[in-house]
Amino acid sequence: MISYTRDPQQTIPTSSVKIIGLGGAGANMLERVALDGLEGAELLATNTDIRALSAFVGGQKIQLGRNLTKGLGAGGDPELGQQAILEAEDEIRSSLKGRRIVFLCVGLGGGTGSGAAPIITRIAREEGAFVVVFATMPFAFEGRRRREQADTALNELAVLSNALVTFDNNRMGELVLAKQGIHEAFSAADHMICESIKAVIRLVIRPGLINVGLDDLMSALRTNRSRCLFGSGLAKGKDRAARALRNALASPLLDQGALLKDAQTVLVHLSGGEDLTLYEIELLMQGLQKFVPEKAHVLFGAAVDPAMADSLSITLISALPEDHLAAAPRDSLSKASRENPLLDPSDGFTSYSDPEPEPEEFEEEPEPEPEPEPLAKVVPLTRYEPEPEPEPEIQPEPEPEPEPEPKFIPQAAPKEEPPVQVAPEPEPEPKPEQPAPFIADPEEDDEPPFAETTYAPRNTKGKSEDEMDAFTFFDNPAPAKAPAKKLWGKPVTDELPEQKPASSQPERPREAIPSVEQPKLKLGGKPPGNQSELSFESAPRGRFEGQSPNVVDGEDLDLPPFLRKKR
Amino acid sequence: MPRRTKIHVGLEIGTSKTCLVVGEVKPDTAVKILGIGVTKTAGVRKGEIYDFPQARACLKDALVKAEDASDVEIGSVFLAITGSHIQGVNNRGTFRLPEGEPTVAPEHVKEASEIARDVHIPPDHVYIHNIIRNYRLDGLEHHTSPVGLFGKTVESDFHIVHGIGTRIQNSIKLVREMPLEVDDVVFSPIATAQLALDREHRDRGALVIDIGGGTTDYALYLDGSIAASGCIPVGGDHVTNDIHLVTGLPFSKAEKLKILEGDASADPARSLGTAKLIDDRGFAEVEVRRSILNEVIRQRLEETLKLVYHRLPEGGVEAIGSGVFLTGGTSLMRGFSELAFDVFKRDIYRPETPEISGNRNSFKDPKYATAIGLIRYAQILETERATPPGIIKKISRLFWFGK
Repeated sequence: MISYTRDPQQTIPTSSVKIIGLGGAGANMLERVALDGLEGAELLATNTDIRALSAFVGGQKIQLGRNLTKGLGAGGDPELGQQAILEAEDEIRSSLKGRRIVFLCVGLGGGTGSGAAPIITRIAREEGAFVVVFATMPFAFEGRRRREQADTALNELAVLSNALVTFDNNRMGELVLAKQGIHEAFSAADHMICESIKAVIRLVIRPGLINVGLDDLMSALRTNRSRCLFGSGLAKGKDRAARALRNALASPLLDQGALLKDAQTVLVHLSGGEDLTLYEIELLMQGLQKFVPEKAHVLFGAAVDPAMADSLSITLISALPEDHLAAAPRDSLSKASRENPLLDPSDGFTSYSDPEPEPEEFEEEPEPEPEPEPLAKVVPLTRYEPEPEPEPEIQPEPEPEPEPEPKFIPQAAPKEEPPVQVAPEPEPEPKPEQPAPFIADPEEDDEPPFAETTYAPRNTKGKSEDEMDAFTFFDNPAPAKAPAKKLWGKPVTDELPEQKPASSQPERPREAIPSVEQPKLKLGGKPPGNQSELSFESAPRGRFEGQSPNVVDGEDLDLPPFLRKKR
Repeated sequence: MPRRTKIHVGLEIGTSKTCLVVGEVKPDTAVKILGIGVTKTAGVRKGEIYDFPQARACLKDALVKAEDASDVEIGSVFLAITGSHIQGVNNRGTFRLPEGEPTVAPEHVKEASEIARDVHIPPDHVYIHNIIRNYRLDGLEHHTSPVGLFGKTVESDFHIVHGIGTRIQNSIKLVREMPLEVDDVVFSPIATAQLALDREHRDRGALVIDIGGGTTDYALYLDGSIAASGCIPVGGDHVTNDIHLVTGLPFSKAEKLKILEGDASADPARSLGTAKLIDDRGFAEVEVRRSILNEVIRQRLEETLKLVYHRLPEGGVEAIGSGVFLTGGTSLMRGFSELAFDVFKRDIYRPETPEISGNRNSFKDPKYATAIGLIRYAQILETERATPPGIIKKISRLFWFGK
């Protein structure tokens, strides 16, 4: 764990993700992944059976045991599968070179799957990849021999892989209704695995507001001889937080959340569109609290991904020590290999990677970054500190507003100059002209900027990226506005009327005259300059004068819609 | 089951008026209104008290009037509250039965309900209502508790109303200072709906909108149970204020003009000429073009109804089978039904007050809908509390357990 800093891991490009489907079942899962469209990740199908392999169209293919089985299957014999893969080892090694994450989808129990999966895992680990294995276990009716083969392979995989997620085919029945066709059951299982793969990719690739990276993922899975618990849920629309959580917990891999209560570390990753709110996160985490033991270490991550639009996805990852798993049949076998402390998966990753080319890789990647790093670090600082400064200055004389800005330029990194100027500019301008949308915003945005700003430094500490940069930019105006509004509230009402009448008088008669038939009676008593003036600070609110603004959806409800809409 | 006559009192401290209704629930569940005490309220804005002493004086006055009118000494009341801080949310609790327990036991339902009720509310909020909407057993809806049935997953849907605790406490404090006891606190639109809707309306889906002086409260019923409720801090006062702001008339004149001349229908035929107020000496003291006056009113009310519309759950309005029921003083505005129809495209009703004897005319006024609804609410509460364990049953149960 120590050898990993956060930096390199956040920048895993999608191209360094490889998804391997091994054997017939693996190919089916891979096909589902291809159908569901996973951009970026490379797909690789490997099989001994040339017929099954040629049916796959999604990506690269490698035939195993070209000379050994001559294009036929492994015939349910793991030995054969193992030899077959050794024959193609170089081919596979070259195809996995430089990959940072490898997903291996495999159906255990058969020859190719059970025999070759541990070898592929080893090869991938040797190539320095983080390996997540999704393995399906055979049906009970397939007999004990197959089960035993699967269990043996599973035990090897548990040691070799970084994360092992198993799905028992016996539970497939829970995924679909009894009357639905068998193909639906299988495609539901494949779909679930595909969703899991996507969720892990999303988690590792998308830099978040609160980041979780490979390191967190590994610490969530760092239990000796563990089995991975995995749940991911997606929901959109109203009440999506609760539904996403429910979907995640409904995953058969989590057993309705019942298995979570033994978990020691739980990784929770949320990803949502730009309208993800802190409240939703809070709600969701509170819901989750019921399923997770109090002493559990919760690793929380959140990311905003515009592509998610109005949906929200939650991914739960945790690991259970094997003996906690109630699914008994595997227990006897798993105990046998428990004496292998050397091959503890979490340690294994680092120990494998040290001698391998990995270190270079990891160091190479951070290299281009040191430059942006200070840049991003400076950004929040300049934002936070100068903000209070310009305000007292602006209050006495609102005219020379452009001036205070140069003040924080010297503090900012030189590159930041143009953006810094651009960002605060809208501040002074809209205020006198049309503060209406302006004041409405801070009211509504109060929470999000708060959340963003608190997280921002945390991000920068970890790493920096262009996206992040843009992000800190984005939240710059917001905090500026919020305090500004409070401070300016009173002075503005004092100042504006003096400035206003000049500019607004030509406007006023246009609206005022048609509105009243007998101006001689009414207009006299009316504050004239202000009626056509729609600024929130200066507009009279009649009976509701002096009350806290009644803002809903960015409109001050205390002002007549008649005036608001005429604008 | 002959029960004694009970007297309930509903109290609504509204933005424009404080209103106490004394009702007598007869053994045959008919309600007779014995008396009403109404005063103009001061010190309340948008449904919330901002001037405590004034509001107290108003309540005192209304209390005396109600006691005089009904000849009843009032000891306790049902209090209707409102305010923009009050929100209604729906939540579902899911409980999966443990292995080896095939049938639903009461504690399973209780657990599901606990989960459903445990909605996340801001720390300063308190629960006002937890209303069970329905139960689901393995995805199938049950209107009654599924205890004893076979199933794997019990779900219960709740509608939860919550608001800022201290503000509600202050309303209660005001009443206690009379001194009066508070039997229960009820969110206004829920009380109003008790009066406005009968079971059939609720089953077919209905929306109640109570537009009062300072707030617009709404409650949506679908499939017999409440689906949404809430409050928008806009009411008749805003209409008056709008007229004041646009035309520059003083409040009193604007109010009068609104009541006597205003029209919200957007019918061009009703917006011709000028609206005049004649003073005592027969002079036209105020003259405003109708097109302006009506447009100001219409835009305000249209916006308010649209706010309600957008707060309702998606597809909620389309699911309304019986219609939209308007109550509250502002719903007396001319042309308001047409406006509401334009917004909701559903049948529009002004509720009649059913099964109430006494001097009916004054009670037909939608201004009293909430306070009378409180009495209906009290009556329903009474039945719910009274029926389940009858005295004989209780004794026999004791006996049974004793063995």
